[in-house]
Amino acid sequence: MNIALKFWSGYVRATHRWPIIATIVPFIPVVAIWSIVANSGMFPRAFFPAPVDVMRSFISLTYKGILPDYLQDSLIRLLFGAAIGVALGIPLGILIGSSRLAHRICWPVLLFFQAIGDIAWLPILLIWFGFGLTTMTFVIVYTVLFPIVLSTVLGVQSVHRDLARAAQSLGASPMRVLWEVTLPGALPNIITGLRNGLGYGWRALIAVEIIVGTSGIGFMMFDARRAGSTVEILLGMIVLGTLWYIVDAWILAPIERATGQRWGLVTS
Amino acid sequence: MKTLSLKNLRKTYFDPYAGSQVTAVQDVSLDVEQGEFVSVVGPSGCGKTTILNMIAGFIPYTGGEILIDGNLVKGPGPDRGVVFQSFALFPWKTVLENVGFGPKMRGVPKDERDRTAREYLALAGLSHAADRYPNELSGGMQQRVGVVRALANNPAVLLMDEPFASVDAQTRMTLQEELTRIWQERKPTVIFITHDVAEAVFLANRVVVLSKGRVLDQIKVDLPRPRVWDQLIEDETFKRLSAQVLQMVRAA
Ligand SMILES: Nc1ncnc2c1ncn2[C@@H]1O[C@H](COP(=O)(O)OP(=O)(O)OP(=O)(O)O)[C@@H](O)[C@H]1O
Ligand SMILES: [Mg+2]
Repeated sequence: MNIALKFWSGYVRATHRWPIIATIVPFIPVVAIWSIVANSGMFPRAFFPAPVDVMRSFISLTYKGILPDYLQDSLIRLLFGAAIGVALGIPLGILIGSSRLAHRICWPVLLFFQAIGDIAWLPILLIWFGFGLTTMTFVIVYTVLFPIVLSTVLGVQSVHRDLARAAQSLGASPMRVLWEVTLPGALPNIITGLRNGLGYGWRALIAVEIIVGTSGIGFMMFDARRAGSTVEILLGMIVLGTLWYIVDAWILAPIERATGQRWGLVTS
Repeated sequence: MKTLSLKNLRKTYFDPYAGSQVTAVQDVSLDVEQGEFVSVVGPSGCGKTTILNMIAGFIPYTGGEILIDGNLVKGPGPDRGVVFQSFALFPWKTVLENVGFGPKMRGVPKDERDRTAREYLALAGLSHAADRYPNELSGGMQQRVGVVRALANNPAVLLMDEPFASVDAQTRMTLQEELTRIWQERKPTVIFITHDVAEAVFLANRVVVLSKGRVLDQIKVDLPRPRVWDQLIEDETFKRLSAQVLQMVRAA
């Protein structure tokens, strides 16, 4: 009992010092079970590869430059689409959030289009734009846009009316009110929206790459299916999960916490 | 010289559900001299907040005129400083940045507006809190910041709508005493709205009693300054004036 407690205390202190330990340790049993099942001979290795096989494939594809290239393609598509989504979504959200008329007019339309899932657009997009970057970008922008608009609206509406009034009676012009009050007040919500939007966008991108791609992680996985390479399919899945985990847990979540907590807008 | 002048001010709201007009302010005329401290009291719903919001320019008026130094009010502006019941400090700005916000909007350079802000913070005994964020301060401290933020912008009129209603009773008395002290030092023109009759008399040179969107009566308060609660609480004139105002409000 005493030893278990000591071990636990050591673990807690170690994770406090090196947070990455807390991320990796839970995966040890997952990988162990996977490894045991794969090595047990229950399934053929080509059908159910072991962690070492995936690792070997990772090293080889990285060495050949295929994996880094595909990863880069996917990330650039995501960032390009997300940038357009942000550029459209934040102004639209501010408009709908601050004008009751705009809200009345746009809100039902917005919810209607949000209900048509991103992938549901693919058939018509393929007819309109064909198999290419336009189609992929459209889907990502579409996916990223709604979470950003909806949270920006929420953020703008959550800014207390007296704050804008205070700024106005201290001499702020409408543009200054927007910049000094509305945007910072809505920022924690906007970042939450961005975080959700990027998450959905990343998933949608992989789906689109599977269907229309000629490169990218989604394409790599689907191409591997054609060649019957389960190893590369699994590798693709692991890359997706790992990459998103890093972006979300190490970059987006800390930014989200930092803005809200520091100002007391979000209770920790 | 008249700093603020309300002439036959009137406000009706349109109620879209009933499809009819609701009268919040019937007909209010009032002149306020420069450097005067005017308290406005009246029963709930008599139109106090509506009048203050019209003077501040936050809501349009239906009829009559509002003049500040002879100029017609058409919207919010830095000539009317407002202190809010909700404090309305910018949570993402430090206390110093909050107080320097008005000068910043006027284009005053950073070191100069920081100096002004520090000077006003010292006036309210808040020098030590300059670099803190509003959520790190008590309610009483936050409202002190609210008051000096409005003052630091040198408004022609300071508008306050029940600014001390959301702090505890002890803090409220301290804030009231500080406000009279600051008023004596700087002589701003103040419109102070409150439910609290004793507060109205304690602070003001003149108390205006409203009833159903009209001015019911006005009383001059010639109590000596500086005013402190320990003395006034026993003062016969203070007691008599308070009782008089209370009677008018209850009859209103
Ligand atoms: N936005 C609005 N729409 C419709 N009616 C309103 C609106 N704001 C205020 N009123 C009405 O106008 C009247 C005056 O309201 P106001 O808020 O000015 O009163 P008040 O004297 O400040 O009251 P209190 O002491 O409770 O703060 C009330 O009858 C109120 O219901
Ligand atoms: Mg009111």
